[in-house]
Amino acid sequence: MHSFLQRGNSILAYALSVLACLTFICFASTLFLNYVTDAKMNTVKVVVKNVPDYSASREKNDLGFLTFDLQTNLTDLFNWNVKQLFLYLTAEYITPSNELNQVVLWDKIILRGENAVLDFKNMNTKYYFWDDGNGLKANKNITLTLSYNIIPNAGLLPNIFASGSHSFKFPVEYTTTRM
Amino acid sequence: MDFFNSIPTHMDFEGQARAEKLSRIIITLFGAVGLIWGYIIQQFSQTVYILGAGFVLAALLTIPPWPLYRRKPLSWQPAPKVTENPHKETAKKGKKK
Repeated sequence: MHSFLQRGNSILAYALSVLACLTFICFASTLFLNYVTDAKMNTVKVVVKNVPDYSASREKNDLGFLTFDLQTNLTDLFNWNVKQLFLYLTAEYITPSNELNQVVLWDKIILRGENAVLDFKNMNTKYYFWDDGNGLKANKNITLTLSYNIIPNAGLLPNIFASGSHSFKFPVEYTTTRM
Repeated sequence: MDFFNSIPTHMDFEGQARAEKLSRIIITLFGAVGLIWGYIIQQFSQTVYILGAGFVLAALLTIPPWPLYRRKPLSWQPAPKVTENPHKETAKKGKKK
């Protein structure tokens, strides 16, 4: 005998099962999409200083300062399974002490519906570009790359590297003046 | 509590079958339409809202015992007349135990 509450329960359970099924279809429909886009970046002003990083120690380390341009169009990345993008700009370089150094210089969250056509000119970095030694001065090959996390409604949390990068070199002399 | 118990919520057997079938059809239909519409405008939230509307509609149509679901009541046999002395009956039951 199906009572009042049993009927309500079965309808709710069935509706939730259908919702789970629809969510899975949404996930499956975006599983094999290619999210790689093109990004253009450039550095404008590049200087390096030798100052103590008091948060780590009293020793003097290299601190890079740079401003950059960034141009990219991420509008096509937004589909029905994308809630937001987390962009971040990484500097990658080699020093004698470390084979691989990666420093995140800047990041940005783009929510769905916000403007996703980026055209930044002469932007300051958001985070300090510290090296854990003296590897920045006269470093000839620092590569900037743009990456992004795609935050979905349901499914995987992919980490995508945009195609396009920019390599630059740091000056051979430390800057001592204030900026 | 007596007030709530006095509200009739009964459906007959065929009514229950119809109610369940109807609720499944409504929810499935709204889910399918919501999926297609959400895919067209690329908004999964719309899919969820349409499914929610289907759930509300199905709940309204199939949870309350509308007259539609009470058309074929079971024809019970009339209750047998109690002729024997009820006191004797209870005494026998007691002995059996």
